[in-house]
Amino acid sequence: MTRIRNVSVKSYLMKFIISLIAFFLFTTSYVEAKSETVLTRDSSALVENQVTLDTAKQNAKRSMRSPAELFKSCARCHSIGRGKLIGPDLAGVSARHSGEWLIKFIQASDSLIASGDTAAKRLYEENEKLPMPRHDYSNDEAKSLIDYIFFETRKLEADPNFLDNDFSFAHPSNTWPFIIGVLFILFGIIDWAFLKLIRFKFIHIILILAGLAISGKAVTEEAIYMGRSQGFEPDQPIKFSHRIHAGDNEIDCQYCHTGSMESRNSSIPPASLCLNCHNVIRNGPNTGEVEINKIHEAFESGVPIEWVRVHSLPDYVFFSHAQHVNVGKVECKECHGEVEKMGRIQQVSDLSMGWCIDCHRTQKVQFDNEYYLSYKQHEDILSGKISEVTVEEIGGLNCQKCHY
Amino acid sequence: MKKYWRSIEEFEEDSKIEKLPEPEFPIEGLAEYEINKSGTTSRRDFLKMLGFGIGFVTFAASCENPINKAIPYLIKPENIIPGNANYYASTFFGGNDYCSVIVKTLEGRPIKIEGNELSSITAGGTNARVQASVLSLYDSFRIKTPLKNKQESTWEEVDADIIGKLDEIAKKGGKIVILSSSVISPSTQSIFEDFNRKYPTAEVIYYDSVSASGIIEANKKNFGQPYLPSYNFDKARLIVSFGADFLGNWLSPIEYTKQYSKNRKVSKTNPDMSRHVQFESTLTLTGSNADYRIPINPSQEAGTILNLYNRIAQKAGKAAITAPESTVNVDSLANELWAAKGKSLVVSGSNDVNIQLVVNDMNYLLGNYGKTINMNRPVYTKQGIDGQMDNLTKRMEKGEVEALLMYNVNPAYDYQNAEAFTDALTKTQLSISFSDTLNETAKLAGYVCPDCHYLESWNDAQPKRGVYSLTQPTINKLFDTRQAQESLLIWSATGGTTEAGENKVENLVEEDAYYAYIKKQWRSNLFPKQLKYAVFSEFWNHTLQAGVFTVSSVADMITRSNYPYVAVYSAANIADCVLKLKSPKAGERAIEFSLYESIGIGDGRQANNPWLQELPDPVSKVCWDNYLAISKTFADKNRLSLGDIVIVNDIFELPVLIQAGQADNTVSIALGYGRSSAGKVADGVGQNAFRLVQSKGTRLYSGNDIKLVPTGSNYILALTQTHHTLHGRDHVRTAMLKDYKENPSAGNEAHLIAEEKKQSMYSEREFKGHRWALAIDLNLCTGCSACVIACQAENNVAVIGRDEVRKKRIMHWIRIDRYYAEKAEDPDVYFQPIMCQQCDNAPCENVCPVSATQNSKEGLNDMIYNRCIGTRYCMNNCPYRVRRFNWYEYANNDKFDYNMNSSLGKMVLNPDVVVRTRGVAEKCSFCVQRIQEKKLGAKMENRELMDGEIKPACLQSCPADAIVFGDRNMPGSEVSKAFANERNYFLLEEVNTRPSVGYLTKIRNTESKKNET
Repeated sequence: MTRIRNVSVKSYLMKFIISLIAFFLFTTSYVEAKSETVLTRDSSALVENQVTLDTAKQNAKRSMRSPAELFKSCARCHSIGRGKLIGPDLAGVSARHSGEWLIKFIQASDSLIASGDTAAKRLYEENEKLPMPRHDYSNDEAKSLIDYIFFETRKLEADPNFLDNDFSFAHPSNTWPFIIGVLFILFGIIDWAFLKLIRFKFIHIILILAGLAISGKAVTEEAIYMGRSQGFEPDQPIKFSHRIHAGDNEIDCQYCHTGSMESRNSSIPPASLCLNCHNVIRNGPNTGEVEINKIHEAFESGVPIEWVRVHSLPDYVFFSHAQHVNVGKVECKECHGEVEKMGRIQQVSDLSMGWCIDCHRTQKVQFDNEYYLSYKQHEDILSGKISEVTVEEIGGLNCQKCHY
Repeated sequence: MKKYWRSIEEFEEDSKIEKLPEPEFPIEGLAEYEINKSGTTSRRDFLKMLGFGIGFVTFAASCENPINKAIPYLIKPENIIPGNANYYASTFFGGNDYCSVIVKTLEGRPIKIEGNELSSITAGGTNARVQASVLSLYDSFRIKTPLKNKQESTWEEVDADIIGKLDEIAKKGGKIVILSSSVISPSTQSIFEDFNRKYPTAEVIYYDSVSASGIIEANKKNFGQPYLPSYNFDKARLIVSFGADFLGNWLSPIEYTKQYSKNRKVSKTNPDMSRHVQFESTLTLTGSNADYRIPINPSQEAGTILNLYNRIAQKAGKAAITAPESTVNVDSLANELWAAKGKSLVVSGSNDVNIQLVVNDMNYLLGNYGKTINMNRPVYTKQGIDGQMDNLTKRMEKGEVEALLMYNVNPAYDYQNAEAFTDALTKTQLSISFSDTLNETAKLAGYVCPDCHYLESWNDAQPKRGVYSLTQPTINKLFDTRQAQESLLIWSATGGTTEAGENKVENLVEEDAYYAYIKKQWRSNLFPKQLKYAVFSEFWNHTLQAGVFTVSSVADMITRSNYPYVAVYSAANIADCVLKLKSPKAGERAIEFSLYESIGIGDGRQANNPWLQELPDPVSKVCWDNYLAISKTFADKNRLSLGDIVIVNDIFELPVLIQAGQADNTVSIALGYGRSSAGKVADGVGQNAFRLVQSKGTRLYSGNDIKLVPTGSNYILALTQTHHTLHGRDHVRTAMLKDYKENPSAGNEAHLIAEEKKQSMYSEREFKGHRWALAIDLNLCTGCSACVIACQAENNVAVIGRDEVRKKRIMHWIRIDRYYAEKAEDPDVYFQPIMCQQCDNAPCENVCPVSATQNSKEGLNDMIYNRCIGTRYCMNNCPYRVRRFNWYEYANNDKFDYNMNSSLGKMVLNPDVVVRTRGVAEKCSFCVQRIQEKKLGAKMENRELMDGEIKPACLQSCPADAIVFGDRNMPGSEVSKAFANERNYFLLEEVNTRPSVGYLTKIRNTESKKNET
């Protein structure tokens, strides 16, 4: 009788453990699923190609024929970055020669050589004295062709991984500790019941307890992180790099995130604000015109850009940027980290309530704001009892500061 | 101590109530059938469900987590900062309620209506219907495209058809009639004139569902002006009202409440207040606030008025007339009136011309014209002459009317002879309705050209001569609708009409045809009447921003001479009136009835608004139905009790409600219910009492030929009357004015005792910063319930429907408690708004096992929904019964198919306040989101908060200025002054909860307890 009961207890235990594993795999699979989605969402390459064609077509309006079209005849003898064919590799050609010279050379290389231009002559010599045929390109067309080659060259130099960050705030995965813990438990139980490799039962007990501790810690941590998205770093519809904008170009955060001083939302800038600069700056170092054109396209088509929200608070939390940035004089990076070093924007803080509270406990209130004149803490400051006031002391831990 | 009671049942069975026929508290736990439903769960099922639940929740939690989109503007509008609200001045006008409003919009959608303090008429006040009007914008029942023979159509098609038909009719000289409710917009009237120019056979007839034809026609006889006068209740020391519910529904209730409360504000320095005497059949809001209230039957009204007139005429040295006998002794009232000559005001709610003529003459004899009544500023909010409508129906029946254009009217529902009208409507060649919903009349119209909601419209308004306001759109049109004015403009334009229409679609505001029209009107008519601005655009922009414009008296004098109305007064032949005012002979009096508008539903035009349907009537405390109000004596005589269903006039069945203060032989029914085509909320709620309206030259809302047959069955009314009762304690404290003059803390002695005895086992809290507090002057509060709806709009309070209200689960965060005192036939009535008292020693806090409710450093009692696990201990321990429980998920739930179940309805939600989920308790937060917003604003401007800067929604909506809010720690703040007032007391102060809400005692201007008038 007792034996039967033992067996059934064991089978229950096994079932429990299996379901625990299933449960855990569920939770951890989410982390992997997240990284997968990051990969799959990278498949915008196709669209990009279309976009380049489109932009080239747009240029054609200006110069009658598009540079890509024009380049087709060049491509018979030249490549960009793929080495010398009949003629030299055109990668970086605009760095080697002036634009004016290049136009003359394209339109009529023979007459330039004949005029005794040293550079032209040297090229002529270097390329088995095969002269480049004349092209009936207008000045504008030739210019656009040179630009085209310039940006094609830039593309060669571009860093495809320019958005990647060299740090991640995502919490380490607990999959292995969990599996190890479960293995400990399994081994302990199986050995105790069947294999009997270990003589002393207390070792089994220790093994099982250790296993429980390790896997338990893993599960607990996973449960704590559940619903939090620290380290969240999704792909965005535009390959926007904060490193370039806020880092290299030192644009102030509030130039784009205008709401942070006056509203609860710091607000993602409207496309029109991007165009303040990108009306002129039409090419980026890494992606050329492609990504910047997306702004223009959105602007022209009237379809707004759908960014992926990175920092989200639950519905029951009220948070105001104006309160923190404008009144509290909290630096952006205290919560958002070193954004100027990020390519893809990443969530640095876990945005948990504990994290909020920790700061409210220690953060000093800007007590010289005249708003606080009626607060009685002023008397304590005057009498020297206290020197500063923390957010907690003016009710910063009260529930209805954030929840209503 | 006075005996207070809340319902007839309580009054009668005061001893029995200890045994509680119904539970005192909201039904605890699930209802019986709900338990039965879930009673079969075994332990194993429970464990299975638990296991599955955990797994599923984990799955759901992990998978749903991340991808949210953040979509910024392409081009950010200059004046919008995402997350910050914008406010626009506009104007609401619907039936009784003219109100200049401020519309709060967030990211381009209106979410809250607030009063415009710059208005000289409503001065920042609102009422429940104005507050609720924002929800009507998001009514899914609104028509989304123009309709032709009930089929969806396009504006081009409809326009072409209508212009063709109108031309044809006009060519052969056929009659075209625009049937409209009263139009206060000068530009609209001008458009009517333009229309008339194009189609000379056109004619405009005004028709009001609840008409003031009696007063208008009387004034025409007396002054030659067919208008309502301006009443100045603030200048009247003695107000005598015969059935005029001027604080609730009569003519301009918001304005009158504002004026009335000015004279009801007593203080030590100014211990005087007006005296208010009310004669009426059913207990109205106004009657509840009266110092003396005398219940009379409708048939006694004429006699009482004539007797009063006789006494006054005698004093004025005029010949007395032979007045019928009056059951009420009015001698002392006549004396008082005569003593208050020029400072009194007699009004009557009757729609009988003869009564109004007598009342006019009485006011004339009392010298009130030019003082408390002003004909110089006539009021245009009611213009309908009832005879014209009756005449129109007859002409339509004869086929004399070829085309009928119906603007803002619904005669198929609210005309007393609706069937005659609908039959006659079929005889017109062309019938067009401008209704924005497919209401009873629009359903029958050949073409429906849906009008825009006022929050999508441009308009102007002149509610009173010389007082103007503007309506401006606060949201892009939600549907393919078009303002009626624009339709008329297009139809009456000569040539190139459709082009103008197309242009409008292409361009936005600037090219809006009606907008341009209003501007043109204002440029030529109003711009010259002011001296402040030299350039029109400046004048226009400033007026649009302020929302209101009053022609200064100087400019008014320049442009038009003052009408010397007192000099032209021609008294009517009162003897002639007496003859016409035959009262039924005593002894053969049948059961009489009176019809009234309820505070929420009014005449029914906003009936499909769930907020208004669920607003308990301030007096009867019934919501979601109309009922037959009967007196206690009548009930006893006919053996009727609450909820018994009675067949009325063989037309419809209604449950009865025993109403304290109801005149003995009279039953009363609210209008505005019984809609059949108003939308899913209103359809089938109550019965249509407009069918009982009598037509005797003017439409009479009372009569004496009602037949009642009890059916023997019973109906449970959604009655909030006995919910959350605080029985047996002196929650209302009151004093007579003369006692107050002698002793400012008269009636409030208990407060002094409580203050003396004050001691606590808790340590005293220290409030180093702010200490929020709210005080309510019970003498000013009229019980109008604007605050209830304002709170509902501001705090996303759920609508739960009739069945749930019956279970006492109503969610309102602020409720108006109504107490009766003394006799059931003629009780004193007290209103007391109750919201969370934000106690310092809050009983709810101690019992919460998860600390989901806590005291804040600013004296608030914080409630944290996301921490609440729904034990409801707090609710049971709250002595004020102000906590509400979410028994169900009220949002996104098909069982509660109100505004929170559709994406359209949800547009009204305030994003600053979270929508609560199932299983959490909730309560008033003193509008903490508003506190936080204003605090932040002050900090950003580097200044101290000003007193009165923070306005909770209830305070802001209050037309009587009964509520003050502020910082008790701020010396000299209004609220600290109120707390120091001798009249101030706290609810249940003997239990030492230390509330942050103070009440100022009710003062009644009576000489002695209940005597003759």
